[in-house]
This record gives sequence, structure tokens and C-alpha cells, in this order.
Amino acid sequence: MTNSMPLLEARRVFKGFFGNPVLKGVDIALEPGRVHALLGENGAGKSTLINLLSGALQPDEGDVVVDGHPVSRFSPAAAREAGIAVVQQELSLAAELSIAENIGLGASPRRFGLIDYGKLATSVAEVCERVGLTEPLDMPVGDLPLGRRQMVEIAKALYRKPRVLILDEPTSSLSAHEAGILADLIRKLRDEGIALLYISHRLNEVQALCSHVTILKDGVVTADQPLAGVDNEGLVRLMVGRDAGDLFPPRLEGATGAELINLKKFSAGLARDIDFHASAGEIVGIGGLVGQGQEDFLLGLYGAIPASAETSEISGDRGPFKSVETANAAGLAYIPADRKHEGLVLPHSIASNLLLPSLGRLTKHGLRDRAAERDLVADLARRLTIRGDVDRAVQALSGGNQQKVALAKWLPLEPSVLLLNDPTRGVDIETKREIYLMLQSFAREGKLVILLSSDTPELVHLCDRVAVFREGRVVATLAQSEISEEAIVGAAMGVSTKGAAA
Amino acid sequence: MSVPANLYLAVQRRRNRGLTGLYLVVAAFLIVYAFLFPGLLSVNGFSKFTQNWFPLALVTMAQALMLLNGGISLAIGPMVSLGAVIAAVTMGGPFGVVGGLLAVAAVGLFIGALTGGIVAYLRLPAIIVTLAGSFIITGVALILLPRPGGFIPDWFSDLLAGHTPVAFGLLVLLLIGWKLYIATPLGLGIYAAGDNPVGAFRSGIPVERVKVVAFAISGLLAALAGLFVAAQTGSGDPVIGTPFTLNSIAGTVLGGVAFLGGKGTMRGAICGSLLLSVMINVMFFLGFPPVAQYVAQGLIIVGAVAIPQLTSQWRAKP
Repeated sequence: MTNSMPLLEARRVFKGFFGNPVLKGVDIALEPGRVHALLGENGAGKSTLINLLSGALQPDEGDVVVDGHPVSRFSPAAAREAGIAVVQQELSLAAELSIAENIGLGASPRRFGLIDYGKLATSVAEVCERVGLTEPLDMPVGDLPLGRRQMVEIAKALYRKPRVLILDEPTSSLSAHEAGILADLIRKLRDEGIALLYISHRLNEVQALCSHVTILKDGVVTADQPLAGVDNEGLVRLMVGRDAGDLFPPRLEGATGAELINLKKFSAGLARDIDFHASAGEIVGIGGLVGQGQEDFLLGLYGAIPASAETSEISGDRGPFKSVETANAAGLAYIPADRKHEGLVLPHSIASNLLLPSLGRLTKHGLRDRAAERDLVADLARRLTIRGDVDRAVQALSGGNQQKVALAKWLPLEPSVLLLNDPTRGVDIETKREIYLMLQSFAREGKLVILLSSDTPELVHLCDRVAVFREGRVVATLAQSEISEEAIVGAAMGVSTKGAAA
Repeated sequence: MSVPANLYLAVQRRRNRGLTGLYLVVAAFLIVYAFLFPGLLSVNGFSKFTQNWFPLALVTMAQALMLLNGGISLAIGPMVSLGAVIAAVTMGGPFGVVGGLLAVAAVGLFIGALTGGIVAYLRLPAIIVTLAGSFIITGVALILLPRPGGFIPDWFSDLLAGHTPVAFGLLVLLLIGWKLYIATPLGLGIYAAGDNPVGAFRSGIPVERVKVVAFAISGLLAALAGLFVAAQTGSGDPVIGTPFTLNSIAGTVLGGVAFLGGKGTMRGAICGSLLLSVMINVMFFLGFPPVAQYVAQGLIIVGAVAIPQLTSQWRAKP
């Protein structure tokens, strides 16, 4: 334990969005010459904490403290003044400008009011050398592959000569070689006395680089301790340990029916070489860290993005489907994660949203059959416990009830396979439970439910089997008693824990 | 890593390389035109040709600034009209030509900055604000000068639109000015703010100020184009600028400036305006009826946007 004064701290910070608390009294202290790890599952509040520390957001309560002095009205500009630099996950680069211009952006040397390109070239070449960027400095950033852009982003942060450097998943798009250069660089910066905060889902990197760890879970710090003596399994346990309470309905024990999906070497978008099979009456979970190809897998099944496979059989069809229409006709339905943009027409009424997929079928003499429509809406509202007036606009509903509408509208088409993309994200507990019951009743009716979720407990308590994705591939398929939060998170992070049959 | 001998020139060379195709097309059209109309190669012919092109080049620069910023202006044409009207109304007044020049420049800068302020600080879409602006500016121009008229001294018309290539010289000066501006942090900020405003903000670019200044320069260029048109015609006309709004967009698009902001170059836009100008002249010499010219112009613009898109799709296929 070092006794040096922290350069940057957050003290008991609270932050919520739209009445939804994200950080509930979080403390963190970044000391010079130390690499500090920040861990937590998706949605634990890591990004919000980084935004508070870098001035992009203001805490609702609590203080951000620089050099022991609480700062009021922290802003990105003030953070830069204080020597705080952030390498964000989303890049802050301009594609048309050259590497050098991007690195110097907002901090270029000037002569007579003009950018001093000579001086810029020398100083940029220096930081590029440190991060191992060998591309010509005059190359437009838009011509670089993603990993190299990430290195430009890191060079850009270094160019500002920071005292505190925050790295938010810097290696997610880097090759092993680049990640190695970055690791060396981080050690060098640490020895120079810079305070580093390192956010990563790769526990081996964290173990190799960091000496102290803060773990966030649901907006609360569950651990703030030196990393020595804690192994990967211990970290995973600290990240997931929670009781599920009685949120989840008892597991369903039912017989599975005919096989509906059987794929060999299925590839779509980020998802590559997936072997997958599933039968009627099953709930199959798709887990893993965000953005490992899970969404592309569902979209590929649904014919929304081009897909290929060695052999495939989906709902009795050869597949992969070339279009959403053929997938719909074969009995697939997809409920998107972004319900506000992809799933619903927000200003329209509940009733008209529920009717959208069925409009073409409920006709009499080529015209809309109002009576049949009314019956259908009433039936759906009852089955999905959508309460109140169905003529209200969908945007007036809570997130959870919106999700129910987005789900319910597909039911009249009698889909045999339901593809759900994170259906409970941003949904309150009560509605979550209703959605879980709904999914179970679908399975009981003999439908196949494929549930992509970023919420690990959900996968554990609802699914008969869980396929865990990592870097576009299925790294583990867990069944029945093997399914546990530790096993899923462990497999997602490339740690083999007990029960994770890789 | 080696430090490039001259980073600035290296960056410039790279920007030129992406425009080789456009340069070739423009050169081909110029050769065809010179073949059809050999007079182009005389001082007088060159002067007349560049005078026809000059206002289009100015408004295209004005529009390119807006597109690079991530916006678009529908008020370019009305600004041209207002510039022409103010020139024609003030040049006969007590402050003469100098007073008129200053008045046109001041009004252009002011209206541009005001529009930019509304767009940047109230976060309203540029297309709506400039649409509203176009009605207001047209109205003001018509109030100032209900019928074509006013006064432009003959010597001033002769200077700008006579038998010497003064207009071309002015264009070169403007381009040098642009080169200097884009080499300042504020000028380079246009690209960053147009492409990735959040990233630019995080990098310490004053995104709002970049926008306001870009709008102001855009307004100035459009008003100066109006001044030139007034000098060309010898009088002010409150609706003379109308076609410039769409033509400025056409020139910019032909020059490869993207609608999404931060993508494209000013040299490309200038070439686009030259291409448009030569195209119109060539079609005129080939005896196209005016209506067919419009149709051909539209087809060429759609083609100019579609061909790069199609080739990149075709290349992306494995």
C-alpha cells in the first residue's frame, strides 16, 4: 500500500439517469505510480464513473477530488487542465484528418496563429514511437483499421502529457502484438509516476498489469483492495455474487419437442463458425460480454444480415434465410433490443402497434376488418397483461410495458421460434417477472425461445441451455446443472471455471 | 519512426491523390470546351469564362463549408440576392464603392454568424434554420429594392466583369485565404466538429465557436457572390440569386463533399463548381435546348454520387 496522496478521487458519488440510480455512493482513489483496475459486469456503472472522473458528467451527490481539493463544476476542459486524459471506448477521431492532425487536435502547437506543422510532426512522431504507430503521419485516420485507430487514440491521450490516464477497454480491438506494446507502455508510464485506471474484461491482462482493484456491482463498490493474492476465479465471484431473490419463477421441467434449429459452421457478421441446435419447448440462452457476435447471430438467423453455413436447418427450411420475409414466413420472430427505434412506432397507439404485423391478414374484401382487429387487440392485451386503454400512445408506457407490446405484436402470427434480444434491459423488476412468465408459457406451448441477454442471472434461472459467445465464437455450451453465473462470466472472460465445458 | 520532411505538404499530397479522378474529368471537359470554343484560350475568352464561373465558385465554397460542418444551407441564393441588392443600393450613396463593399461584407458576416449562433447554441437543424432564413432574407431584399435597379458605377463593373481576368485573380486570393484558415486550429476544427462533434468536444475543440465562424464565412462568401453578380449585370435584382441555392449544392456534391459532415475537401468543391460551369457551357455549345440541359445536369449529379457508391459496394464484395 502506497502512502502517496491520490491525484484523482471520487468520494461517495451518486449518479442517476431518469430516476434510475446507476452509482450509489462510490469511492475510488487513483494514486500516482499505480495501475488501478476497475471491474464490473455490463451495466455495473463503470462508464458512468469514468464520465464523472473526466468531467463529462456531474455527480448528483458527492465530490470529484483533484490533488486533495474537491472541484466544483468539473468539465472536460477542467479535467484536461488538471492533466486527466481518457482513452474512451468510442473513438474521438475525425476520419478525414491525418494521424498527426488528429493527435494534435485541440492541443496543436501554433506559430502566428497557424498550426505549426513542423513542430507538430516532431512531437507527434515521438508519441507515435512510444505506442508503436509506424504508419505515415500524413495518412488519414479513416484509412486505418480499427485496432490502429485505437492506437492513435492512445497516442492522442499521451500527447497531452497526462498525470492521470484512464483507459476504457483499450485492448478490445487490438491485436495481441499491439496489446503487448500497450502493456509495456502502461508499465513505463506507471514507473514515471502517472496514475492509471484500467478498465478491461480480460482478467489475465488485469492480473498482469494492475496492482489494485475496485469492483463495481449494481452501482456499489463490492471490493477495493490490492490485487495480490486474488485469482481470476476470486475476481469473478466478487463481480457476480448476489442473490437472485424470488425474481425468477421456478424453472420449468418440460419435455422438448422436435428439433427446430440445427446449424453447422454458421457465420453472420461478427459471429463465426457457430455450431448450434435447439428444439421446440426449449429456452436457449445466448450469453457473453456485450458485442461478441451474439446480436449478429440472431440477426443472421432472422435473415436481416447476410449469413452462411456449412449445413443448416431452421424450422424445416434449408436456410440461412435471405430475407426477413422468408424468416417470418418460416415462423421466426425477432424482438429487437432497441425497442424505441426498431420495435415500436412510438407516437402510435398500443392497439395499432399490436396490429402492425397482422394488418395484412385481418382483412375482409381487401379492406381492414375492424371487428377482427378489435378482438385481436383485446385478446393480446389480456394474454400479456397490458393494462388500461389500448388507444394510448406507446411512448406514454413504461419501458417494461413497451417491451410487452413489442413482444405481443408477433403472437398472432403464431411464430414457432422467438428470437429475443435483451428483452429486459431497462425494465423494472415487476415487469421483468411478467416477461419471464411469458417466456416460460411460450416454451410450454411448444415454441422455441432464444434469449440473448446481458443479464447473467436471467440466463441462469430461465434457460435450459446457455451458449456463451466470446470473440464471435461459442466458447461454451452449458446445460442444466452446469449453468451458473460463475460458469457463464468465467467462459465469457476466457477463464475456465468449474462447470464450464469449453 | 522517421519524422516526415514536411508534414504539411505530405498531408496535402494525400488529399490531392483522392481527387485524381475528378481532376481528370474536369480536364477532359475543359479540353472539349476549348475544342468547341477556341476563344477560351484568349485573354478575353478566359476572362469571360472565369467571370461566369466565379459566383458559382463562391457559393459552392459557401455551401461546402456548411456541409463539412455537418449542416446545409438553403439560404445561399437569397444571400446572393441580398448581397446584390445592398451593393446596388449603397454604391450610389455617400460612401461610394468602398462603403458598398463594406456594407455587403458586414451584412454577410452578420447574417451568417447569427444563423450559426442559432444552429450551434440552440441545437437546431441547419436545414430548418436556413430554410426560415431564406424566406426572411428574400423578404428583406425585396423590401430594400422591390424592382431590379439601383446603381453600380461603370468603372467597377468593368474592373470585375470586363476584359481582364480580375475575377480569377480574386478566386486565387480567396483560395489562399482558405488555405491559411484551414491551417488554424479553428479551421481544422471544422472537420473534427463535422465528423465527430462529441469527440471534438472531448478533444478540446470549441465546437460551437467553430460552427459560428464557419457560418459567418459562408454568409460572407455568398454575399460577395451577390456583389459580383450586381457588378456583372450593372444593377441589383432582388431575386437574381435564387438558382444559386441548388447549384451550390450540386457543385459541392460533384466535388465529392459528403452530406454527413467532415468528409470532403474545398479543392474538390471548387473543381465540382468548375465542372458544373463547364458542363453548362459545353451543352450550350452542343446546342442542347435549355430544358434538356436541366435534365442532363440532374442525371450527371445523380451519377456523380452513385458511381463512387456503387464501385465501393462492388469492391466490398469478396
